[in-house]
Amino acid sequence: MATRSSSSQPAVAVRGLERAFKGGIKAVDGLDLEVPEGEIYGFLGPNGAGKTTTVRILVTLLRPTGGEARVAGHDVVSEADAVRRNIGVALQEAAIDPLMSGVELLRMQGALHGMRGSQARGRATELLERVGLTDAGGRRVGQYSGGMRRRLDLAMALVHRPKVLFLDEPTTGLDPTSRNALWREVRGLNDDGTTVFLTTQYLEEAEQLADRVGIIAGGGLVAEGTPAELKSRVGEPTLHVDLAEGADVPAAREALSAVGPLVDCRDDARVAIRAARGKATVPIAIRALDDAGIAVESVEVVSPTLDDVFAAVTGSTLEGAGDAGAADDEVAGVGA
Amino acid sequence: MSARTNSPAGPVAWAFWMRSLGEVTRVRGAVVGTSIAPLVFLLGTSGQFGRLVGLPGFPTDSYMSWIVPLCCLQGAGFAGAAAGANLARDIEQGWFDRLLVAPVARPLLILGPVLGAITRAMVPVTLVLVVGLLIGAELTGGVLGVVALYAASVGFCTVAAMWGIAMAVIFRTQQAGPLMQMGVFLGVFLSTAYTPQPLLEGWLEDVARLNPVSHVLELGRQATVSGIDTSVAHTWPGLLSLAGMIAVFGAMALVGLRRMGR
Repeated sequence: MATRSSSSQPAVAVRGLERAFKGGIKAVDGLDLEVPEGEIYGFLGPNGAGKTTTVRILVTLLRPTGGEARVAGHDVVSEADAVRRNIGVALQEAAIDPLMSGVELLRMQGALHGMRGSQARGRATELLERVGLTDAGGRRVGQYSGGMRRRLDLAMALVHRPKVLFLDEPTTGLDPTSRNALWREVRGLNDDGTTVFLTTQYLEEAEQLADRVGIIAGGGLVAEGTPAELKSRVGEPTLHVDLAEGADVPAAREALSAVGPLVDCRDDARVAIRAARGKATVPIAIRALDDAGIAVESVEVVSPTLDDVFAAVTGSTLEGAGDAGAADDEVAGVGA
Repeated sequence: MSARTNSPAGPVAWAFWMRSLGEVTRVRGAVVGTSIAPLVFLLGTSGQFGRLVGLPGFPTDSYMSWIVPLCCLQGAGFAGAAAGANLARDIEQGWFDRLLVAPVARPLLILGPVLGAITRAMVPVTLVLVVGLLIGAELTGGVLGVVALYAASVGFCTVAAMWGIAMAVIFRTQQAGPLMQMGVFLGVFLSTAYTPQPLLEGWLEDVARLNPVSHVLELGRQATVSGIDTSVAHTWPGLLSLAGMIAVFGAMALVGLRRMGR
């Protein structure tokens, strides 16, 4: 079972972390980060950015070649066993023995964490219920769907009630329903006090779950903050107005320029302005266009996304980035 | 830091053993390969080399009796080497990472596959012995001889498993499988597997004399070879050889395991 140490220490503390591979290639290069207890920390980055290497160091699977890392108050190198006792790990590509049943796997996981037979049996039943696999618990995992495997993987990581839970790309390959179910479970765990260190390529996942987000590129942290803080660093929201067919575009541009600074727009039938007041800009813009006698097809307010943040801090976009809601709001069919 | 950081060994070893049993009982044909091969070898070899017993100095007049312990060891050895192949698969598929992040003493991660291999090895060893006795081998060593044969088989399975696991943690790929099997094959082939040492000639005689597997075979042959009686003199060299090989390959496996995260 996990040992509960003093709560004054951060759940994860990394200082100048480095990991070099053969040929001197540094996958992690001078990384610093700190995750307080009880937080969901989103660790964002494209393939090859160094996030999986960082996680493997934090869960004691890989030794750092420089710097230090402490998890749950324990050094990942000199106190690796203590770290292992306090962490739950669900790594990328849920590796689960397909010949074993869900119950058997959970009981085995219990044994690995020092639980007695009856204790492990009870915990297995409890966790199967929690992740909605009670009916499937006796079936071999080879017959499970991808979503069921992921939920079982999560349950296995929770058997010993870990202080810190590491989730490495937990929803990769899942359908939206399974993904939402897993997100609900992660939020529930965090509500119970578990610190969650979540690595993901999906912007939407980071926005939905993380209290704070760290963006890693080239082995180092290039930005960190709450999703709102990070987005606010990139710029203001933009109001996009799609004009009705045959509308006077120059007149529309003139009318809207009185509401906010014009923004370049590639589409000839669309006019965009900066919207410092967000959605509150919509009625003002509609009124201005109405006064000018210009018909409008639709209006939307677009806020900066984490993808914009990522592009701003790294100069590139995330591969396989999720469909993070670009449009905060859309008002269709608004006519002048 | 908590006083106790690793989980108790007993339940962990039990959990690993139960998982191995599952592989035996749930995979159709899992033990067929390791059982059929030594049986075919038993029948084929006794047919081809049966007349060797006519050579002066051959310690039995039944080649079947001579070859049964060899086939038992082969079955046990290949079951042991399969533990390495299975571990390489677990490493490739990520299952082993799950074990590595558990607070479990590292030697237990090796002990688990070894226990599983020994369990699997009991099937071909018993099958070869029973079939061998049914078709002409003699049980000259009685109960003590059978105990010696099983000790040799369990020990050799452990040696092969340690070798296979060492290869698995060093190369971390199932492509190392042939190397694991080759180790067992060479160990047996370059011993007194087919012919007693006095009847061997040249470099093979020297190699077989130095090869510890020859002593393990002698340990097992106390069961069926009339010229090798059940005695301490025929037992301790085999046990010592097994202990030595287990120590060497076990150390290789442990060192390889410790280097995995570096």
